[in-house]
Amino acid sequence: MPPAAKTTRRDALRCGAAATLAAARALAPALFAGCSLGIPPRAKTVTVGLLHSQTGPLAISATSLRDIQLHAFEQINAAGGMLGRQIEVRAPDTRSQTNLFPKRALQVLDAGAVAAFGCWTSASRKAVLPIFEEAKKLLFYAVQYEGNESSPYVVYGGTVPNQQIMPTLDWLASAAGGLRKKLFLVGSDLVFPRTANFVAKKHLKAQAKELHVVGEEYLPLGDRNFSGVVRKILDAGADCVLSTVNGDSNLGLFAALAEAQVDPRKIPVVSTSIGEDELRSLLPSQVTGHYASGCYFQSLDTPANRTWIDGFRKEFGYDRVTDDPMEPGWCLVHLWKQAVEKAGSFDTAAVRQVFREGLEFAGPGGPVRLDPKTQHTSKFFRMGRIRSDRQFDIVQASPEPIVADPYPEVAFPGWSVDWTKDGVTRGAEVDIDGEV
Amino acid sequence: MNLFDPESWFWLYDIPPFRLSLLFVAVFVGFYWIGSIIVRPILRQFVKYTAGSNDIVGYVLSCFCVFYGLLLGLIAVTAYQNVAEAGANVTREAAALSALYEDVSRYPEPHAQNLRWLLRDYTRYVIKYAWPLQQRGIVPQEGAIRAAAFYDRLLEFKPSTPAEELLHGEALHQFNGFLEARQMRLYSVKSSLPASMWYVMILGAVLNIAICWLFDMRFITQLMLGGILAAYLGIMMHLIFDMNQPFRGDVSITPEPFETLYARMEDN
Repeated sequence: MPPAAKTTRRDALRCGAAATLAAARALAPALFAGCSLGIPPRAKTVTVGLLHSQTGPLAISATSLRDIQLHAFEQINAAGGMLGRQIEVRAPDTRSQTNLFPKRALQVLDAGAVAAFGCWTSASRKAVLPIFEEAKKLLFYAVQYEGNESSPYVVYGGTVPNQQIMPTLDWLASAAGGLRKKLFLVGSDLVFPRTANFVAKKHLKAQAKELHVVGEEYLPLGDRNFSGVVRKILDAGADCVLSTVNGDSNLGLFAALAEAQVDPRKIPVVSTSIGEDELRSLLPSQVTGHYASGCYFQSLDTPANRTWIDGFRKEFGYDRVTDDPMEPGWCLVHLWKQAVEKAGSFDTAAVRQVFREGLEFAGPGGPVRLDPKTQHTSKFFRMGRIRSDRQFDIVQASPEPIVADPYPEVAFPGWSVDWTKDGVTRGAEVDIDGEV
Repeated sequence: MNLFDPESWFWLYDIPPFRLSLLFVAVFVGFYWIGSIIVRPILRQFVKYTAGSNDIVGYVLSCFCVFYGLLLGLIAVTAYQNVAEAGANVTREAAALSALYEDVSRYPEPHAQNLRWLLRDYTRYVIKYAWPLQQRGIVPQEGAIRAAAFYDRLLEFKPSTPAEELLHGEALHQFNGFLEARQMRLYSVKSSLPASMWYVMILGAVLNIAICWLFDMRFITQLMLGGILAAYLGIMMHLIFDMNQPFRGDVSITPEPFETLYARMEDN
């Protein structure tokens, strides 16, 4: 019987190598399949900026705008995102300081934002405009403003004077509004109030109605001492007030009116910048019976609006309210989504090309159409009377959405805009602080 | 990829824990086995195998293992303490937030409602936005904005009775406690073992394995015994790695205290 072959070191090495390879082969699928398949892949994202003031005097209004737009993006992400990407929102605080808006705009654009939503005052919008135009990125602006501006890189979702101020004046002069004759203009010392009041005066002059302006006062944003202004309103014998006061300065205005025992039935104040959100901080005893005009009120009784309100409250709390700038803010996000999906790209040029086709969205306040010529949206006009439960009774509404005219002929003769053709046509220079 | 940058290894936290554990074991055992084939013959030239050589190697290995084991144990405890401390900060922040919520709920309207929803907004942000960022090793920034918004609104309230003054004082005190705990949470997002500790641990593991290669025994036995030791080293390394980042991996802190609080806020 031949002796058993002795295992050499070489044999052992071969065995070892074979065993190692076999073990690696056996374990590899379990280990490395986990690395590629078992791990949920980190979703591709695209960044969007929100430029809202979350502290300071404008926070009272702008925070809800941030929330509704966050809500819109959360819903979009939950439904799979846009073009297969999740939306990552950057929302720095602009602190109600106009000079901070450009810094924050640069911050979000540097972070790779493909578009931004935000700004409240016209000064803040004008401050960031050159940045967006240079970066060729879109800014979606949801707040009502004075018109007299057009940029190919801004989509204006709020009302302009022919959708809010002019119908408000017409209503005050009508029987429904009490055939008012003496109007006092009061506002924050900002671009919007001054330009809107200029348009108001031009409109009244052109209409040749009995309603005429008997006084005009402005206070800095954040100032709450309105006792002097109220005294002037009473001294002028005004029988109605058009208020373009912004942010928490409204607390001071209505406190002063209440202190002077101004009866809203005799001297109603129609505010252009008050919604349900601002009413949360105002005492019902001071504001009930006064009015606000806008494109949307929470009390609008339609199924679409109820569904929208329920969705927002479910996510952000049942004591939250929806208001005018929130509705356009929501619609703008969805109009952008539509445009991006139609364009198949986040690229600004491609998205703007889709704007030319005209976009429509069924918003909670009614259908919204983006006018390709002006990049403004059509809006309903609604007048609401403040109730003691911090909601509005809608006392007047336009039968159809009103098409926006950023340059009403009565105030800006010769001016117009058409982004499907030559852009802005310039008329004679207009001095809004000059005599009307 | 910079191998010396701890963040270069963060992708490992995305691997499910059991698989990551197997991966650590596989790497250590694989290293030992491959070394047994390639490095062991070279090392053997430095050790003259005599009758008592294994005893000497065994003695050195025992001594080494005592020190190395102590080091691993202490580091594991430190890593666990980091996680526990970060967890305590999260609980403290949620508790302070809860107390603050109760305090401001007693304010007169409209202050109470406005302050409540700002706190709810903060809590929602922490759960929905801050936590996923923390799990990626990023310090969330926008919570500070919400805290500042609340503080601004809190300071707007002017107490008009002695009871309101007391309540307001207590709310401000709670707010400071909340800010402190919040800052501690943010600090712990980036807290981890220093890189030098990792170098020492990894070098120690390599030396441990190298000593095992010096044993004179049957090759298969060497693979088996050394493999078991290497596997255990891999498991220990995985444990420490898992606890290294308080908000990442299997042994990590969840937003549960905030979720519980948010559910209660919504009920209210």
